[in-house]
Amino acid sequence: MSAGIAVFEKDMRLIWRQRGGWFSAAAFALISVLVYSFALDLAVTEVRPLLPGVLWVTFLFAGIIASGQTFAAEAEEGTFDAMLLAPVSSTTLYLAKVVSNLTVLLAIEVAVLGLGTILFNISLISFELALIVVVGTLGYVALSTLLSTLDARVRARGVLIPVLALPLLVPLLIAAVRATGGALGEPVGTAPWLLLLSVFTLWATLGSALLFPMVAER
Amino acid sequence: MIEARGLTKRFGGVIAVDGASFHLKKGSRTALLGANAAGKSTLLSVLSTLAKPTSGEARIDSFDVASAPAALRQRLGVMGHLPMLYEELTAVENLQFFARLYGLRDAGARVEELLRAVGLWLRRDEPAGVLSRGAHQRLAIARTVVHAPDVLLLDEPETGLDESGLQLLDELTLATDDTAITVVAATHRRERVSSWADGTLVLERGRVVEDTTAPVTEPAALRVVQ
Repeated sequence: MSAGIAVFEKDMRLIWRQRGGWFSAAAFALISVLVYSFALDLAVTEVRPLLPGVLWVTFLFAGIIASGQTFAAEAEEGTFDAMLLAPVSSTTLYLAKVVSNLTVLLAIEVAVLGLGTILFNISLISFELALIVVVGTLGYVALSTLLSTLDARVRARGVLIPVLALPLLVPLLIAAVRATGGALGEPVGTAPWLLLLSVFTLWATLGSALLFPMVAER
Repeated sequence: MIEARGLTKRFGGVIAVDGASFHLKKGSRTALLGANAAGKSTLLSVLSTLAKPTSGEARIDSFDVASAPAALRQRLGVMGHLPMLYEELTAVENLQFFARLYGLRDAGARVEELLRAVGLWLRRDEPAGVLSRGAHQRLAIARTVVHAPDVLLLDEPETGLDESGLQLLDELTLATDDTAITVVAATHRRERVSSWADGTLVLERGRVVEDTTAPVTEPAALRVVQ
C-alpha cells in the first residue's frame, strides 16, 4: 500500500513537472468542446441528443493523447524496470498507475463538463452524469494503462493504443454514450446502460490487473 | 551464492544466453566479459528477475530467479544500461522514491548518507536531468545500493565515470570491503578487472566459453568450458 502511494505521488509530481502530454490532452479537450459549440448552431439545433457523442469522443481522444505518456518516459529512462525490480507486486504498480491516470483524466473531464455547461447552456453537472463519467473513465483507463505498458515494450511505440484500444473500447463507448444520453434527459433507460458500463469496467479492471504481470515481464 | 545450470534465454528465434552454467560463491566478485551482443546484459536481466529464463535454472541464495522473484528482489541491487532515474525528479526525490519502494524505515538518513557518499549532497535539489553524465552515474550508484542489497548485478557501471567516480564505484560496489556482498558486473574495461574481480566469466554468442570463478580446488583455477 505504501509503495502504491509512493508511485502515485511520484506520478503526480512527474505529471506536474513534465506537463507536455497531459497539458496537450487538456488543451485538445477544451478546444474540441469550443469547436463543437461553434459547429452546432445552438439557436436552431437541439444539441442535447448530440452531447453524449461530443463528450465521449472528446474524452476518448484526450485519453489517447495522454495515456501513452505514462509508460513511454518510464521505458526510455529504464525506471519502469527499476520499479519492477523492487519488492512490490506488479499489481500494486499497475493499480497505482491506474489511479494516477484516472485522477488526471477526471480533472480534464471536469473542466470539459464545466466548459460544456457554459457553452451549450445545458447543465452537465449532476450526480448521475458524474457516476457515468467516473465508471466509464475507470474502464477506459484500466484498459489503456495495460495497453500503454505493452506499447512501451515494443519498438513501434504509439501504434498499439489506437489499433488495440479503440476496438476493445467499442462496448464501453456505446454504453457510456447511451447512459449519458439518459442522464441528459433522452428517452433511453440509464440503468441498463450504466449496468453494462459497470460490468465492462469491472471486466477491464480485473482482466488488466491479472494480465499486467505478464505484459510487464520481458 | 549464485548458481546457474543450463540457463538459456531466447527471444523468438534468437538465443541470447545459451546453456550457461556457473557457480559463484557468496562474497565473490565476478567480471562478466564478452563482446557486444555476447549475452552479458541478458544474463544479468535473467539473474535480476526482469526476464524469465526459457530453460535451465538460476538460483541466488537458494531462491530460484524464475519461481521466487519477489523473495529475491529485496536482496538485489541492479544497475542497468539505462540510468533508471527520473530526470524531472531531484536527486533526493529519486532516492527517497526508491527507498520507499524498498520499504526503508529511516529513508531520510540513508538518502543523506548516500548523497554525501557520492558527492551530490550539495546538489540534492537539482533535477537528475541537469546533472552531468558522471554525476548522473554517481546518483545511479546510490540508487542501486539504497536498500543495502546482498547481491549486486551491474551492467557496465563504469560508463561515464571519471577517476574519482571509478574510485567511488569501487568503494560502494565493485571492491567494497563488505564480504557478504556478491558482485557480478558486465564490463568492457578489462584493464580494471584485476583490481576488483576474483574471477571472470567470458561469454561468446550466449555461451560461457571461459570460467575462472571455479573453486580453487580445481587445477590452476582455470576451466575452459566447451
